Amino acid sequence: MSRRAAILGWSAVPVGTYQRARDGDPMLEHELAVDVVLGAASMAGIGRDDIDGVVVAHPGDHTHQGYFHTFLTAHLGIRAQSTVIQVLGNGMTGGHAFDTAVLQVTSGRAERVLSVGVHFETGIPTSRHLDYSIRLTGDVDFQSVFGAVPIAWYAMDARRYLHEHRVPRAALASVAVKNREHAIRNPLAQYRTPITVEEVLASRPIVEPLGLLEVPGRADGAVALVIVSEDFARASGRPYVLVRGRGFEHEGLHMLSDRPNDALAYTTLRTASGRALADAGLALDDVSTFQLYAPCTIVEVLATEGLGLFPRGSGATAAADGATRFDGRRPVNTCGGALSRGHPPEVTPLYDVIEAIHQLTGAAGDRQVRDCGIALTMSELGKLNAAMVHILEAGS
Amino acid sequence: MTRLADVRMNGGRPFPPRVSAFTRPFWDALADGRLTTTRCAECGGLGFPPRNLCRACWSRSLDWVTLAPGGRLYSFTRVHVAPGAFRADAPYAIGMVDLDDGVRLMCRLVGEVGHDDLDARIEMLVLHYEDGPLFGARVVPRG
Repeated sequence: MSRRAAILGWSAVPVGTYQRARDGDPMLEHELAVDVVLGAASMAGIGRDDIDGVVVAHPGDHTHQGYFHTFLTAHLGIRAQSTVIQVLGNGMTGGHAFDTAVLQVTSGRAERVLSVGVHFETGIPTSRHLDYSIRLTGDVDFQSVFGAVPIAWYAMDARRYLHEHRVPRAALASVAVKNREHAIRNPLAQYRTPITVEEVLASRPIVEPLGLLEVPGRADGAVALVIVSEDFARASGRPYVLVRGRGFEHEGLHMLSDRPNDALAYTTLRTASGRALADAGLALDDVSTFQLYAPCTIVEVLATEGLGLFPRGSGATAAADGATRFDGRRPVNTCGGALSRGHPPEVTPLYDVIEAIHQLTGAAGDRQVRDCGIALTMSELGKLNAAMVHILEAGS
Repeated sequence: MTRLADVRMNGGRPFPPRVSAFTRPFWDALADGRLTTTRCAECGGLGFPPRNLCRACWSRSLDWVTLAPGGRLYSFTRVHVAPGAFRADAPYAIGMVDLDDGVRLMCRLVGEVGHDDLDARIEMLVLHYEDGPLFGARVVPRG
């Protein structure tokens, strides 16, 4: 049997505004990283000299410091013998930061690895941020030339979904309300004031048919995890979370298929989750909660359908009926998701791991899923052109 | 009839494409009113945009072909919060279009377009900017 990895320490700052100071001087990316690294190391009961490797989520274009991974490792005074690496996977970047650290441990190269990410963007005006991001989510010469901002692709899925399935518009909007209700219960969340379906539908248009409350706000964030071998975790006597399974799939497309197809099937998710569940020796019905990378309401709906939680075309109405609430039969994004917990994209998947840990360790307070034994986390890139899924379980 | 209708646009292209030795024929043909792409001479695979290999079989033996301008609208959005480069255009509509020749592409939509136009007939256009062309589409009026 191969070696397994566990999460022994975790720490995150509330999603919000750090790069742009409300008053006084702002915070720098490595300064914020120190808060979460020390928090996670302290929880794991390890010190600087115990860390074998450092995996950093690529911080995107908006942090000033280049080669952030080696700079941060030096700032922390860590001498690493397994690896120091910065990983990039578009929306999946934080997922890779977790996955790569896990692989260092399961491969036997390392016993204790730091997985850390800082995302900064609030110091950059939205229009400039979008000038950068249209180069990421499209062919720069044949798609970006039309001004296809990243969430425009999801918006086109939303319109197609409403058209094909004749879903009430309010059902799609209800996903934002559900996520806000979760975020109100989550101290790490960015948006914590109640909203109604009417307010969601009336919010100003951003990428039609999606308005302000169905797309992510702009946010900074920072997360650190300490990933160790299962043996080390067990011997520590501390609470931990075991990584039971992992699955991945890339469909070989960048945004859209160049042949007409069903753009709403999100097949990579079914494949990746199938692989992760098989790896864990579990079935979908064994999973207690789902933390899904979903920047817009429509993505959460299509992801729940892609996973097989609900039949095609029924995900939005299932959400409107309460099925995806923390106390529903398929609890999804119990942290508030990208919409309300907040969306610092490069570290959003790491925040999703944090929520899975909180649920599995019974630390989710008044949004706690009952009898939460197994959690599934998913990160994606493009328009679900790729999906990465992990299956997590509380250690014992 | 494969010649595209012409639409005059104000100013330059907000975010101009690069032109390579390989893609030069595409942009030259577009300026001349034809939407082109590459078809694999080995397996017949067709896609968009033109590629310097066949995605299906990795052949580098490719022919330039002209696409018919007709198709259907798969979906669209109207972008209200725009990149700085597109600020003057906002709000603007972009859509996914399925051409009758069997390719899907994304492009600017001009003219009226609404939710009820999904699956409606569209025609491809040449958008002539002051510094060069882009392709676009518009919904064909019914009736």
